Amino acid sequence: MEKVLIVGGGAGGLILANSLDLDQYDVTVVDKEAEHYYQPWYLYVAFKGSKRKISRPISKLLKPGIRFVRDTIKEIDLDNKKAYGSYEVIYPYDHIIVATGTTPDPNVIPGLSQIYNQVGDFHSNLQNSRKLWNSVKNFKGGNIVFGMASPVCKCPPSPIEGVLLLEEYLNKKGLRSKTKITYFTPYPRAYPAEPMNRIVEPMLKERGIEVMPFFDLDMIDTENRKIKSIEGDELNYDLPIIIPPCKGTKIKFRQDVKDEDGFIKADKYTMRIKGYDDAYAVGDVNNLPTSKTGVTAHLEAKVVANLIQGIYDKFTGRINCPFDMGYGKATFVIADYENPVVEYPPSRTKHFMKMSMARIYWLTLKGYMDPVFDFYFEFTNPRKLNEKYNKTNPPKASSQPQ
Amino acid sequence: MEKLVDSRGSACPGPITDLSKAYRNSQVGDIIVLWATDQGVKADAQAWAKRTGNEILEMKEEPDKIVIKIRINKR
Repeated sequence: MEKVLIVGGGAGGLILANSLDLDQYDVTVVDKEAEHYYQPWYLYVAFKGSKRKISRPISKLLKPGIRFVRDTIKEIDLDNKKAYGSYEVIYPYDHIIVATGTTPDPNVIPGLSQIYNQVGDFHSNLQNSRKLWNSVKNFKGGNIVFGMASPVCKCPPSPIEGVLLLEEYLNKKGLRSKTKITYFTPYPRAYPAEPMNRIVEPMLKERGIEVMPFFDLDMIDTENRKIKSIEGDELNYDLPIIIPPCKGTKIKFRQDVKDEDGFIKADKYTMRIKGYDDAYAVGDVNNLPTSKTGVTAHLEAKVVANLIQGIYDKFTGRINCPFDMGYGKATFVIADYENPVVEYPPSRTKHFMKMSMARIYWLTLKGYMDPVFDFYFEFTNPRKLNEKYNKTNPPKASSQPQ
Repeated sequence: MEKLVDSRGSACPGPITDLSKAYRNSQVGDIIVLWATDQGVKADAQAWAKRTGNEILEMKEEPDKIVIKIRINKR
């Protein structure tokens, strides 16, 4: 039997493992942690104080017959098809999938690690999300600066989701009039994709959240409570809520396959690591020109499972990011490589769908919800939705395969 | 140093995020060549260059992509 080695027990790794034919493949999943977390819920831990249980043991999320090993892969030799774990354990393979996600790296911005440790954040882990909830709960009014510390991060809607949920919380607590919220971003506008920004910016304005565009965070002066940008601007704060920069994988490769931030260079249609036909990078860890989200990891994993099993398939670049806009409404950021982001209006139904996803997530990992997703993805096909909703933005020129 | 940033197909977060990332990793004198398919990139790159004090050397449309060449003057 051919050996498939999956490094990482996140959404991409688990969906991929559970999609392979176990009569034909010997599948091993390796992760340094024993638990898998439903990361989108960090938002509700940090801004609503949710206490829902959001983790399950990885071993229980795999179909019977798949081996789970708790270990840290330190090095991979793609030419000799070997991965090296702790204590000199060697994992030989026929196919390897690296799906290790991203790693927060607050140390690259001077002053940020202090904020990260004291205030918390809602991207890294459950503990830091709880810390942020404590900071939010104890806030009594003043200046809040809210934004991300680097241009590329997981889940593009999440910074805006965070600031909208925070505004809702402060409003309900009666602290809104005592608080100035400034949302800073390195982009030219609040939401980087223009069609979605047409929905987001009026909403921020209506809720009194100031937007500071072209603010690429350079350093934090924790003594004088100021953040400074590369462009030379400054903002004062009482409470800084800052998403740390995220980096790719710390695994060493004997071949040159990582970019300067540790993301793995992979083909945008097949997720094959450049130069190899038996090695793949799935989910947040690759450098594909698409969003780093659970949905893309899910869809990429399905494509890779097919390719390994000899079935032709290709990733379309489809994204479908649920976007909570506060006060019980949500939308989805939908696009693919061929079609721009849809100007998809928020509604209560979409909020219900986002909340339902949190419930059915565990079944999704095992592939039990595939028929529902197949229907949903066709129903919300980006080309069709663009024809219906995008009045002012014609679909862009299609890109050619590389 | 000339650096190619291939952002073709990127709709969200979009090519401007790739440009910001390349800028962060660049030095004065570097040339960034951005490839994109999203039409919005033209206005965004101009606004970005104006705000950050960098210079657009060339912006052209090829059949399958938009090519923008930027010189980093300020960092």
